[in-house]
Amino acid sequence: MDKPNQNEFKPKIVGFLCNWCTYAAADLAGSSKMEIDSALTVIRVMCSSRVDPNLILTIYFNGADGILIAGCHPGDCHYGKGNYFTRRRYAQMKQVFETLNLDPGRLQLSWISAAEGNRYAEVVNAFTEKITALGPNPINQSSLF
Amino acid sequence: MKKKVGIYICQCGPNIADNVDIDKIIESVSAFNDADDLEIVAKPYGLLCSGEGKDYLKQEIEENGLTHLVIGACSPRDHNNTFIGVCKETSLNPYLYKLINIREHCAWIIHDKDKATEKAIQYIRGGLRRVLYQSELFENKLDTNPDVLVIGGGIAGIEAALSLADADRQVFLIEKTDRLGGKAATFKTVLPKQQDAVEAIQLKIQTVQDHPHIQVMLNTRLDRIIGFLGNFEAEVRSIDDAEKMTELKIGAMVVASGFSLYDASTHPDFIFSGDDEVYTALQIEQMIAEKNQVTTRSGKAPKSVAMIHCVGREEVGYCSQICCNAMIKLAARFKTQSPDTTVKVFFRDLCLPHQDDQAFYNEIKAQGVEFVRVNRIATEGSQIKFTTMDENEGSELFDMVVLAPAMIPADGTPDLATKLGISLHETGFFQEAHQAINPVATATDGIFIVGTAHGPRGIQATLLQAQAAASKIRVQLIPGEQIVPEVRVSETLEAFCMGCKTCLEVCHYGAIVFDEDKGISVVKEAVCRGCGNCVGSCPSGAIQLKHFTNPQLYQEMIEAVQ
Amino acid sequence: MSFSNQVLVIGAGIAGMEASLMLAKSGKKVFLVEKLSLIGGNVIKNEESFPNLECSTCMVAPIQQAVLQDPNIETMTLSTVEKIDGDVGHFEVSVLKKARYASMTDCIGCGMCYEPCPVSLSNEWEENLGEKKAIYVPTAGSLPNVPAIEAEHCLQLSGKKECNACVEACMFGAIDLSETDEQMQLEVGAILLATGSDLFDVSQLTQFGYGKYPSVYTSIEFERLFASNGPTLGEIKIRNSDRQPKAVAMIHCVGREEQGYCSGVCCMVSLKHAHFLKHKLGDVKLFNLYTDFCVPDKTHQKFQKNIIEETQSIFHTSMKDIKVTEADSVLNVAYIDAKGKEASLNVDMVILAPAIIPGKDTEVLSRIAGIETTEIGFLGLKSGGLSTVETAREGVFLAGCAEGPKDVQSSVTQAESAVGGMLARLSSLTS
Repeated sequence: MDKPNQNEFKPKIVGFLCNWCTYAAADLAGSSKMEIDSALTVIRVMCSSRVDPNLILTIYFNGADGILIAGCHPGDCHYGKGNYFTRRRYAQMKQVFETLNLDPGRLQLSWISAAEGNRYAEVVNAFTEKITALGPNPINQSSLF
Repeated sequence: MKKKVGIYICQCGPNIADNVDIDKIIESVSAFNDADDLEIVAKPYGLLCSGEGKDYLKQEIEENGLTHLVIGACSPRDHNNTFIGVCKETSLNPYLYKLINIREHCAWIIHDKDKATEKAIQYIRGGLRRVLYQSELFENKLDTNPDVLVIGGGIAGIEAALSLADADRQVFLIEKTDRLGGKAATFKTVLPKQQDAVEAIQLKIQTVQDHPHIQVMLNTRLDRIIGFLGNFEAEVRSIDDAEKMTELKIGAMVVASGFSLYDASTHPDFIFSGDDEVYTALQIEQMIAEKNQVTTRSGKAPKSVAMIHCVGREEVGYCSQICCNAMIKLAARFKTQSPDTTVKVFFRDLCLPHQDDQAFYNEIKAQGVEFVRVNRIATEGSQIKFTTMDENEGSELFDMVVLAPAMIPADGTPDLATKLGISLHETGFFQEAHQAINPVATATDGIFIVGTAHGPRGIQATLLQAQAAASKIRVQLIPGEQIVPEVRVSETLEAFCMGCKTCLEVCHYGAIVFDEDKGISVVKEAVCRGCGNCVGSCPSGAIQLKHFTNPQLYQEMIEAVQ
Repeated sequence: MSFSNQVLVIGAGIAGMEASLMLAKSGKKVFLVEKLSLIGGNVIKNEESFPNLECSTCMVAPIQQAVLQDPNIETMTLSTVEKIDGDVGHFEVSVLKKARYASMTDCIGCGMCYEPCPVSLSNEWEENLGEKKAIYVPTAGSLPNVPAIEAEHCLQLSGKKECNACVEACMFGAIDLSETDEQMQLEVGAILLATGSDLFDVSQLTQFGYGKYPSVYTSIEFERLFASNGPTLGEIKIRNSDRQPKAVAMIHCVGREEQGYCSGVCCMVSLKHAHFLKHKLGDVKLFNLYTDFCVPDKTHQKFQKNIIEETQSIFHTSMKDIKVTEADSVLNVAYIDAKGKEASLNVDMVILAPAIIPGKDTEVLSRIAGIETTEIGFLGLKSGGLSTVETAREGVFLAGCAEGPKDVQSSVTQAESAVGGMLARLSSLTS
């Protein structure tokens, strides 16, 4: 494949979706044939709290332009309180990004319920737009290294 | 050993076939064929979830001797179980298969066919990489003990014990006092329909005592438990004789430890002493049960009675649900005792949430019981001061004042929660697994909460909960049948665990215990539900969730950024 | 010989589904009969349920999936029970299974068949706030995700005109217009009636203006208006207009006096709607007009307090004094305030909380099942003693709102209890 040129930057986004809510919302968006940008790659996890900092940093340093974590709304967790832990870890990860001088805007946490197919499409498309505007992950620009 | 991966792309009729170029996917993944290590069998198929499709897959798995399987089709929410079922009928371990959703994630949402195809190729390649890192997992069947420990000998515990014993479960019923029946056994009548419940309850108590499958242990408390659904061990101890400890082997537990009442004398607005004509509703209830009439301390029938609702409601932070009905029931009793008695009910909101309640209320109102809606109310002895909704102030002296104090958790509830390893709700009652859809279970499989230990409720609702818990146990633990715990659970890697116990804190199910000898955390696999929260919390990477390990997820996602 | 290994559950709402799953787990073959084309009952109409404001779909969809995937449960949609003969252990049940015209095994739920259908109908499941085709699923995400055809409106089936549009659109040959209604006979040992409830017809009470003024809604209509999978995808717009409401009155207890009881859940529903409005629209004035707050659970008062604090919307009144009128698209709600003075509010939307009433088929069902109804008209438990789930007809049990108004927690509890009752009754036959 050709290297994407700067003008037609096509971001690579990895999204960790919780099985019970957001993954179901993605299914609903799918069966409703909503148009969603192809930038996102969905990784299904049982609970958003499974997403450990390791995974986030690993995929970031491997070149992901954006990382989305999405799960049940607070109070809705299929496993009691998992998403509250997700929220805390997300806040910590934002700080880690800042400390490492990475753009915390490349990381996003969203709550999307199983009924919110529409919102899923909106969130993914908006995040894709945002990351497109931010440009490529600097890791991918070899000049930095 | 050479790996042989089957990759089957479902056309899903036109749903996938029209929107992604399946031939291109096949072509792309076939390129991974490596003469030494890896052989790829990649084929399209019309509809894999159909009967023919499943037979086709089975045949392909066996004939090709597949070591791994990737299916590109629809959402795992639709057909993951279908294909796991297919694997189970073949020699392929179902955890060496992966369903990749190229319908909802590509074909249906990316409206440009080239882009959708490109994306589908990426997803399938990710799936191929992932599946090569997956491991076989084996279901582990466990023997279970269908016997049950019931904690609390009130109406809730009695009902649970009877329901279970009638289903041939051996029941151990422990009660901390020296008698069965709890508070309900002291009532003369119960709502909603004023049936004479004393008889019904006494009959239940007698049945429990005589039941061949129920062992009643009075003056007994729980000391400790270990284990999990189907295999608990409990130590119970005599309250009188600390030496007397009994070890019970059980499969499940029902917690029916009851309630206490808010102490109205601690409330600054209600000033009274033991000499004043101020009673709680429960005291009146007991007076009726003892001597079948209500009298003042001097032995006279009261000519005027004030009934005050919601005492302590603001302080405890919830409505106790049954007090309005209980007070109306007592108001009726005063009127029956002497129709001339002035009965005034002071309330803020009437809570009559059952279909028979309002008719009863209307009937009592028609008998001349006066209902006064107040914003504020205070007593000093039996002198009452109040402010009505329209801000008028009033002051009246009564022969008798009856208070309806809030129901609060029974003494010892926090201690019991600690021993059982279950949580308390912020109100201090036990916390159910799910407020709406799993109300009598707790986060710990095999431990159930019923009756007023669960929250304020009346006798009917208490019986329902006790029966519900018994049903759940009956269905979950069938004598002679084994249970199959989830296999996609967490495990600790001994070498990495530094014993910080963070995972113990985050686990909602108490599935992680600490091995003091080794100084490491250990996952109780039979309890773990496989959410992976502990993995996210572990600072040293010492826990992994089987089937969702970091290497597996890494393989899946790395394709996205290449 | 008894049929004690087979049971019948009528109604696939939350109570019927929970009972079916448990009965199936205990090894019984379950026939789950549901009159609609989808399972899930009324709970799935809610975007979020009280008190945890939890997404109902997230809560219930796994249960629906489990029911549909359980090999011991035979789910019969579009079906009604017509006759129950026999006694406990030996019931013979006649079920009319209406033609769906789409194959449950061949259809994969892609939805290609709706678009070409030329017939548009009002969608009852969406409280007539949206449309559907003559071949339809009631809402996106319906389970089973297989369409059904309304024969009386389908051009071909009703004989109005030749039309084969859906058949041609289906690539799976899953649509069969020659399918006919089926009369089925089931042999079961015990029966659970979990047929749910309906809502009081608020148009009877003219003072609330429902049916007359388009911006007067019932709570269930508002629920669908707010639902992100509903007809407006969750956009709150006043009927027949593009306007968002700026001031909304929520009137509690509509029909309570007429019905003679408190339904126990409506206060929480109205409070929840106040929260929805505040949360989604932000700048909106809210008025909850109520007489008695009924918030009877350890969780409910906190919910009430939080929402009162969030919305500042509590106004005490007496329901019988309320009158809603409209002038120039402004609704005027006249009421008597807490101090007994006449007062009024100007709003642009009114949401009425109707009483929960017996389902409209209750009387017929009570006759078929051979059990009494209560004075109010719900299905009746056995009288005397402390019965919780048993009816006067042995082997016939009740759960959920069919037995009286209740919330999800109580419905589920009663369903779980009924399972124990059924299993106990059945095992006493075999032993």
